[in-house]
Amino acid sequence: MSYLELAGLQKRYGNSVAVDDVSLSVEQGEAVALLGPSGCGKTTTLRMLAGLIEPNHGTMTLDGNEITRLPAHKRNMGYVFQSYALFPHLSVGRNIAFGLEERGASRSETEKRVQEGLALVRLSGLEQRRPKELSGGQQQRVALARALVIQPSVLLLDESLSNLDAKLRDAMRHEIRSIQRTLGITTLFVTHDQVEALTMCDRIAVMHRGRIAQIGSAEDIYDRPATRFVAEFVGRANVLPLARDAQGRATVWEQLVPVESAENADLFVRPQRMRIVPVSEPISGDTARLTGRVLRSVFVGDHVEVLVEGAGGQLTVEMPSGSAAPAEGSEVAIVWPRGESRVFAREAS
Amino acid sequence: MTASRRLPLLLIPATLFLLAIYVLPSLGLFRNAFNEVGPTGAMVEAWSLETWRATFHDSFTFELTLNSLWLSAVSTLIALCMAYPVSLFLFRTDSRFRGLLAVVAIMPMLVSGVVRVFGWLAILGDRGLVNTTLQSLGLISTPLKLVFNWTGVTIGLAESIMPYMILALLAGFGRLDRTLEEAARSLGASPFRTFRRVTLPLSLPAIALAAGLGFVLSMSAYITPKLLGGGRVFVLATEIFEQATTNTNWPVAAVLAIYTLVLLLALLVVSNLVARRLQR
Repeated sequence: MSYLELAGLQKRYGNSVAVDDVSLSVEQGEAVALLGPSGCGKTTTLRMLAGLIEPNHGTMTLDGNEITRLPAHKRNMGYVFQSYALFPHLSVGRNIAFGLEERGASRSETEKRVQEGLALVRLSGLEQRRPKELSGGQQQRVALARALVIQPSVLLLDESLSNLDAKLRDAMRHEIRSIQRTLGITTLFVTHDQVEALTMCDRIAVMHRGRIAQIGSAEDIYDRPATRFVAEFVGRANVLPLARDAQGRATVWEQLVPVESAENADLFVRPQRMRIVPVSEPISGDTARLTGRVLRSVFVGDHVEVLVEGAGGQLTVEMPSGSAAPAEGSEVAIVWPRGESRVFAREAS
Repeated sequence: MTASRRLPLLLIPATLFLLAIYVLPSLGLFRNAFNEVGPTGAMVEAWSLETWRATFHDSFTFELTLNSLWLSAVSTLIALCMAYPVSLFLFRTDSRFRGLLAVVAIMPMLVSGVVRVFGWLAILGDRGLVNTTLQSLGLISTPLKLVFNWTGVTIGLAESIMPYMILALLAGFGRLDRTLEEAARSLGASPFRTFRRVTLPLSLPAIALAAGLGFVLSMSAYITPKLLGGGRVFVLATEIFEQATTNTNWPVAAVLAIYTLVLLLALLVVSNLVARRLQR
């Protein structure tokens, strides 16, 4: 049995089901992201884990002990809230000391651990400040230190970086990841930001409509999406509608593609997995190929996006910047390895 | 003129109104405080400090002051103990009846003070609801004295200021964020400890605001002490009325009125300072 086990968790609000049959195993020291759009049930799952709401069904087990009905204050979970939830009437030091005091730690022990916590998040010397005198990034770090000094069994981060500006978010991402690794603390990280999930966690659970759509490593999720939702939500994808020719073979843009023919389905290919080659270039057997006309190329810093139009649609190819972009209006061939494409049925709407 | 410079024009109607019905009469009151009462009992124009001297040398004035302060403090405390949980409930509830419940909570404000007092007489009187119930249960043999004394006035006052205090608490609860309580819980604080260390400290500004308001309303209340006190309860407000109407001693009434006003202003300043200190 894993360190942390969620089994068949369900949470209903009236007639709507916020979380439906969520099961997840997390090993000790592992960082797992719950990734999904707003309303997918990821925060609800995290809050059930913290004991802030009760599930209607299912169980949660921590280190072999069932914690499903244990009140929040007895769970020893470090929760970092999206809004940080620092106590405005207490100084930074007293905020960090809060959990230690509730555990009856001695004065000297509390003082020592508060100093360690401040040092860990590089805020030493600010313990007398009030939370509102700190910047957003500093508040975030106080919230992190406050959750970490109680030496929680599991660290729960709820969209913890979403209130920071882009640059700070980047820095905090690496900082939290390195603290997580150094302390070896089991972490669940709720986010709607795929970059956060991909860079900060060992495994990612993509959630959709209250269920886990796929669990896996960043590579699994990105390169081998299990469902259409995962393919669309994580990263960018060209969605090419599949059709059939007279012989029943699969086509895109009225050109044959080497996939199993399917009714009401689309072909998904990542823009980075595609290459643009001259129309005359021959292809090998395990390569798929389409031809089209270059609409325009857009330079986006680290890569060039090339928009190509064919009979019945458009697609985007990402080329490394520095490579020569094809001229607008020119006829080109787009190729990709057969293994890089996925076929997903269209959702009944 | 820019729109923002024209903004103060919005204050003109209220200013004129208050000038006519409040500021000018107040000046008249101020003037009266320095007049004298002639041998016939009628007021004569003068610039004399005699009424002031006599009033503040009269131990009855200080008895009245203590009565008023004590009555207001006890009523405010009782009302606060009842209003705080109600306000917290109204602030927190997700019930779709929240609006309705809020209206119910402040409903007493919609009833005239006199009507409310008669309601209390029907409940607290010798043959009222409380006494007849207790007697029929055999818990008491003779009726408890619940009206026409301090007990009745305190109960009546506490009830009449409660709706105002509920509104003041609701307005003051701005910083009470439920996430903060969740944070405390996640850090190991029991529900009671969470209330002690987070909810209560963060609602202190609201409590100061509501207590200040309740106190001022109790100090200036006249109907309840007069009617529920049955002539046995003497406070500043009842005495001012007595002096102005029964005794037609306007200078004394004016001096007591100004004195009460200064007391209230001082209390408001203190409660404001406390609230502001707690806000930080």
